[in-house]
Amino acid sequence: MSKTKKSTIGHYEMLFIMPNKFTEDEAKTVIEKVEKTIADGSGQITSREYWGKKKLAYEIKHNSYGYYSLCEFDLEKNALAAIDQSLRLSTDVLRHQIIIKKSKTEEELAHDKKINEKIVAKKAEEEKEAKLKEKKQADTPEATPKAAPKKEKRTDMKDLDEKLEGILSAKDLI
Amino acid sequence: MNNKKTKECYFCVNNLEVDYKDTRTLKRFINFYMKILPGKRTGVCAWHQRKLATAIKRSRVMALLSATHK
Ligand SMILES: [Zn+2]
Repeated sequence: MSKTKKSTIGHYEMLFIMPNKFTEDEAKTVIEKVEKTIADGSGQITSREYWGKKKLAYEIKHNSYGYYSLCEFDLEKNALAAIDQSLRLSTDVLRHQIIIKKSKTEEELAHDKKINEKIVAKKAEEEKEAKLKEKKQADTPEATPKAAPKKEKRTDMKDLDEKLEGILSAKDLI
Repeated sequence: MNNKKTKECYFCVNNLEVDYKDTRTLKRFINFYMKILPGKRTGVCAWHQRKLATAIKRSRVMALLSATHK
């Protein structure tokens, strides 16, 4: 946003896949290695998430399964290229992807909260209305024939009532 | 079968961010051939459609989604 960005530290998110040849424990040591390379580049890991073994959507170097791991870190911008390169060369990591992640400011978080509250309120209101409608429908004599639901959408309520009455009276006759 | 009701953007209505890791949501916006559906059809607004397209491409790179249906 601002043209003069003072901070040279960026917040990144990285997802990487380890090949299927590893066992679960070996994969975890690989994760430690990767985290060490980030730490060596003066990066700070803020969060990590291990997804475990997952089926890949397509084969990568004859692997149809892989261990996924996700981590977030703060890093100096000019140190990123080195880490990216070292991961690309490493055979322990099948594939990785580093993404710039924007951390939200407090203002944005407050704004989000407001909107979320509004959405919740709106949903509650809609539910209320739906319930009221259901009640109304329950109050009116039931036993709507099976063919009715399709027509219901198109015809107005008045027409429906008339039709219903007609059908009910017909049933009474039988 | 033309649905004339104006659709609302899924991400705007629910105040969600597009996340490339959330394949369950992304799958709503691709077709059988794994092609990205037009915003016109799904009702996603232009701003979110751009984010969505990048997110789907990112998850294809990480083999979370396939690029073809076979
Ligand atoms: Zn939107």
